[in-house]
Amino acid sequence: MNVIIRLLDKVLSYALIAAMASILLVVSWQVISRYLLSDPSSVTEELARFLLIWIGMLGAVYAFRTHAHLGLDIVVDRMQPAKKHLVQIFVQLSVIVFCALVMVYGGAELMELTLDLNQISAALGIKMGFVYSILPITGGMICLYAIHNIGCILRGEEEGRH
Amino acid sequence: DDTVILRLGHSLDTQHTVHKAMVYLGQRLEQYSHGKMKVVIYPSSQLGSEREMVELLQIGSLAMTKVSASPLEGFAPEMKLFSIPYVFRDRDHFWRVLNSDLGMSLLKGVEKVRLKGLGYYDAGSRSFYTTDAPIHTPADLKGKKIRVLNSPTAVKTVQALGGAATPIAWGELYTALQQGVVDGAENNPPSYYLSRHYEISRYYSLDEHTSVPDVMLASLKVWNSLTEQQQQWLSMAMADSVEYQKKLWKQASDEALEAVKADGVEVIYPDKQAFRDAVKPFHDSFKGTEVGRIMQQVEAM
Amino acid sequence: MEMTAIVLLVVFFALLVLSVPVSFAIGLATLATMVMSMDMTPAVTTMAQRMAGGLNSFALLAIPFFVLSGQIMGRGGIAKRLIECAMALIGALPGGLALVNVVSCMLFGAISGSAVAATSAIGSFMLPEMKKAGYDENFSAAVTAAASTTGLLIPPSNILIVYAIASGGVSIAALFMAGYLPGILVGLALMVICFIHAKRKGYATSARLPVKVVVEKVLAAVPSLFLIVLVIGGIIGGIFTATEAGAIAVFYSMLLSIGIYREVKWAEFPQLLLKAAETTSIVLLLIAASTAMSWLLSFENIPQTFSQFLLELSDNPIVILLLINLVLIVVGAFLDMTPAVLIFTPIFLPVAMQLGMSPLQFGIMMVLNLSIGLCSPPVGAVLFVTCAIAKTKLERIIKPLLPLYIAMFVVLMLVTYVPWISEVVPNMLGL
Ligand code: NA
Ligand code: NA
Repeated sequence: MNVIIRLLDKVLSYALIAAMASILLVVSWQVISRYLLSDPSSVTEELARFLLIWIGMLGAVYAFRTHAHLGLDIVVDRMQPAKKHLVQIFVQLSVIVFCALVMVYGGAELMELTLDLNQISAALGIKMGFVYSILPITGGMICLYAIHNIGCILRGEEEGRH
Repeated sequence: DDTVILRLGHSLDTQHTVHKAMVYLGQRLEQYSHGKMKVVIYPSSQLGSEREMVELLQIGSLAMTKVSASPLEGFAPEMKLFSIPYVFRDRDHFWRVLNSDLGMSLLKGVEKVRLKGLGYYDAGSRSFYTTDAPIHTPADLKGKKIRVLNSPTAVKTVQALGGAATPIAWGELYTALQQGVVDGAENNPPSYYLSRHYEISRYYSLDEHTSVPDVMLASLKVWNSLTEQQQQWLSMAMADSVEYQKKLWKQASDEALEAVKADGVEVIYPDKQAFRDAVKPFHDSFKGTEVGRIMQQVEAM
Repeated sequence: MEMTAIVLLVVFFALLVLSVPVSFAIGLATLATMVMSMDMTPAVTTMAQRMAGGLNSFALLAIPFFVLSGQIMGRGGIAKRLIECAMALIGALPGGLALVNVVSCMLFGAISGSAVAATSAIGSFMLPEMKKAGYDENFSAAVTAAASTTGLLIPPSNILIVYAIASGGVSIAALFMAGYLPGILVGLALMVICFIHAKRKGYATSARLPVKVVVEKVLAAVPSLFLIVLVIGGIIGGIFTATEAGAIAVFYSMLLSIGIYREVKWAEFPQLLLKAAETTSIVLLLIAASTAMSWLLSFENIPQTFSQFLLELSDNPIVILLLINLVLIVVGAFLDMTPAVLIFTPIFLPVAMQLGMSPLQFGIMMVLNLSIGLCSPPVGAVLFVTCAIAKTKLERIIKPLLPLYIAMFVVLMLVTYVPWISEVVPNMLGL
């Protein structure tokens, strides 16, 4: 499990860095091609939007890993340790339920539907199913991290809280 | 109870003729079905963009939507026909094609992607509007940054006419025109007027390069869940609504032109032949393709 | 319909109390409600689509870019020089840095037309500096959130354009002019609160500096100040849009901090990208989940039902206007601004016009009202951005926000009952 998690950490970081660098270059190219070259690129706007979806979802996994998502800890902080552990496990399970149902199952359905019916994006002409594929991928990643977190809680370890 | 509720989402605001025609569709449907069928309308992209709402029909969580034929290209490639400039000679020719077997078969074509085409609404013809200088001939477009719809066909159309095609989101367009990020855009008279772009871009050249109809769609899943009788009622109500909208559109289009003229906008009626000649090579590029074959059929009508 | 609203709220708050992250709580509450009105498969597929759809927006790119450029500015000595310059100029006033924050947010919000862009840009470099200067970080975050909404009233403003189109007949030019005075009033009201807060907390004010030192500090900040000139000039000059300006800001701050100030190394850049992606994505996941919830609210006609119920309570014009404002404040707590404007303009505008309000005044009132919602919990894009940047928790930022809400609410009441405030500028210009 730990090997998988470490590998996942690496892949996730590289993917995010690459996506952020790309989105920066794409939007700069949009300005350059329109203003300096007076030959506006017709695909950068769409490409930037699709990259943002990918960054949002991959980054959501990363933020989940680093426990950076915003939450209300005020009540739980006042609980006794045993009860607190129970609630922490419940939180991880809730996240798993959401990610498994909506992102993995719903996302995969959406991806399959758009691939089957061959929906093409307006400017790039790529299959929308590929754009949507990030949903089941990142949903699965969050589930893995959540399972890892549950393991940590059960063993009484801190789950790498920052 | 056994009342059928059809949820209908669209991207236009409630002032638009198509919205009014949809309200009328709902009234007719209630009459035909003696109150057994109702339409609930969600305007202003409340439920998503046009492309996304088509997806919702495929998913089955929304019953009906209206989509411009242009974004429909991504689902049914032959719809590209409508985004190609000057495929129709005039309004008569345009409607003759839509009402022909060809027009119906294009509608029927969306069934393979789990959609049911119910009919076409009029969305007029699109023309250029510019901020700094008027467009009389394609040469006037040279080097001008023109905002286009996000589609390769729309990009190539403006490029064929000499302009620099720039895709910009509809919501950002007013500011982009104001700040000069783009020099102009193109749309039909009611949209030019209702979007208030005429406040910035004071030249409107009615070259009427494309006629992209609006298409009313139903989810095939929802359609198949209706009884034959209910399907018939819906088709009848849709037919009534189409006739009603055609009249409203004519009126709205005339009123929009009057209003912008009254506000001091210079409306130009350029010689369209020069524009037709300019897109000839673009037309030729479709030879031998599926769309090219449809274009030939249209030409012959 | 009422049932779905109740289930949504109960599930949401229950999960929130149990410390489920807000974005997942929104998502799960939406899911629980959604399966009440449709089968599981279409429900989850629709939600997945709405989540992706919520992020499929070019305007949202402002968030990663300005967060990133803010981080580079903070690491690379740009922010430091800017703040030293501002401090040299008005540091002697109580709460000087907080005032600088408000003015920067107003300026940036004004040109960018996006509250999220303003919070990301100003917050990313002001918040760490205010913390260093001894300001309470939650107060600083609250000020940034509230102040960045003024740019929605001060033109150009995308949301005013959305309103103009939804209202079907208001001139955008007139609406833009109408926004100036209310926007500036909100800014001033917030500055008053900052002033009082700083006085009460007894924040150290710097001594008046000799003129020579002030000039030095200003000159040292010139290359950094040029970033503002570049961004504002580029937007006004039509070279790039406010969203694209974010990418330009990143490159310029890179050039300055890697090339000229030499305070950042190339090797640190990937780490900065990763950090920016993390901060950005906290917000993006919230926006994705809220988009799914917005869809459900619209689908179930909950906003309409809710407003009908309230409007039936009275027929006194003053009370009705107050009720409209209360509805919008409650709605703004949960719904993002654009869907709120699109849903409520057709519902409330006719009512307001019957009471003699002009569509111009109504638009300003509505946008100002929903600005409060942008920085009010549980759902608010600006609130999310500030919390993510300040690395603070929602519950901690609420208390310092309260006096700022009150300031905004006072201006809101003025705008609601004094048409002059919205109409004087456009009238003067004959619009
Ligand atoms: Na603004
Ligand atoms: Na809110």
